Amino acid sequence: MNKIFFACVTLLFVASCHTKKEFKLPDVLPENSIYNLTSEWKTQEGETVQLKNFGGKINVAAMIFTACRSACPRITADLQRIDAGLKNKHKSDVRFLLISMDPERDTPEKLKKFALDHKLDLSRWTLLTGNADDVMEIANVLDVRFKASKENGIDHSNIIHVIDPSGVIVHQQVGLAIEPDETLRAIEKLYE
Amino acid sequence: MKNWLVILTVIAAGTFANAQVSDQAMMATIRGGTYVPLYSLDTAATIVKPFMLDVYPVTNLQFLEFVKKNESWQKGKVKQLFADSSYLRHWDGALLFGKDSVKLAHAPVVNVSWYAAKAYCECYGKRLPTVAEWEFAALANETKPNASADSGFYQRIIDWYAKPSHNRALKNIGSTFKNYYGVWDMHGLVWEWTQDFNSALTSGESRSDSSLDKDLFCGAGAVNAKNLKNYAAFMRYAMRSSLKAKYSVGNLGFRCAKDVHTP
Repeated sequence: MNKIFFACVTLLFVASCHTKKEFKLPDVLPENSIYNLTSEWKTQEGETVQLKNFGGKINVAAMIFTACRSACPRITADLQRIDAGLKNKHKSDVRFLLISMDPERDTPEKLKKFALDHKLDLSRWTLLTGNADDVMEIANVLDVRFKASKENGIDHSNIIHVIDPSGVIVHQQVGLAIEPDETLRAIEKLYE
Repeated sequence: MKNWLVILTVIAAGTFANAQVSDQAMMATIRGGTYVPLYSLDTAATIVKPFMLDVYPVTNLQFLEFVKKNESWQKGKVKQLFADSSYLRHWDGALLFGKDSVKLAHAPVVNVSWYAAKAYCECYGKRLPTVAEWEFAALANETKPNASADSGFYQRIIDWYAKPSHNRALKNIGSTFKNYYGVWDMHGLVWEWTQDFNSALTSGESRSDSSLDKDLFCGAGAVNAKNLKNYAAFMRYAMRSSLKAKYSVGNLGFRCAKDVHTP
């Protein structure tokens, strides 16, 4: 009887391992993990967080600014296409991060409004704003170049980053209105 | 008698070295003004507020002091996220210059990443200068705050750019020229990191429909090619646009800046 019970438990355990991969933030971060950054950020709810608070999940991230009229809504739309392309069973493992490159204007309230306007699911999407120095640092970590331009705009690179649970960037989608297939494959690969 | 001479020499050398170390942290005040960026969608000039700038680039010896206090920035300990494998490659060890130590001590530190340079400046309550600040201060020659009309001045800069830098030991700080503001070595010694070096966008990364690309490449390269002044600045922009923050380059150093606090 005991033996059968034990076999069942073992079977259950093995089976669960096969259906669901467990992601977690490693105790020792890889050297190239973006979670080595110690900067503090405000979310759209006004909460103070560090980037490593997002560890342990797969994150799909991009830099935006909410006053942006052309590229940013499109990059947000590209992220939403990635979200829509995810397998249902993976949805709970994948989070979306929008980091503002316009710390002066993008207050948490502005970010909240942007999120609501774009119907972002705030249980899985987070918008972040920080101070100018930290924005410059994260832009450099993410290889994003930006420059203030006329009429209060910002010219910037459009890059979507796939960040693994330990904080390592495993894929970058460069440009706008790119088919999400390759990025989705990069996410799938993390389950192998 | 001979002994005395030796002792005196040692004392003199020591005093000299101390003076140099403290001088190295000196800053000059740059009164602000306007600066017309070389590549900009706006034709309007950028306003540069008054600021303080290090008189000299940061030296190997100064950087050594910094890494002694800040272990995480030592060669071999710095994280891959913040520096590539070339970081301080001209040093023999974490706290050791090696056989060239005499030559290196007062030469500008190179092979440092943007993150390291930024951390150094922050450690001393300073920051990296912005591109606009650096370029504004770099307009000055020995006698004028703005030597852009002086073709001889730009020719000197171009001549320096034309010299290959590999296999050439870097000279000590204070070995080129002192400009109008009392700032040394803005040209002729090393290239320098700036806070927003990443504002120079290149075609592969910016929006393909952005007119910025055109401004970066067609505007400057073609239209102003005859203008030596712009050519020198073009070289610096091209260099900045090729950098990533973790790169450590053999002829790229830095100096720090600071806001002027009005009482």
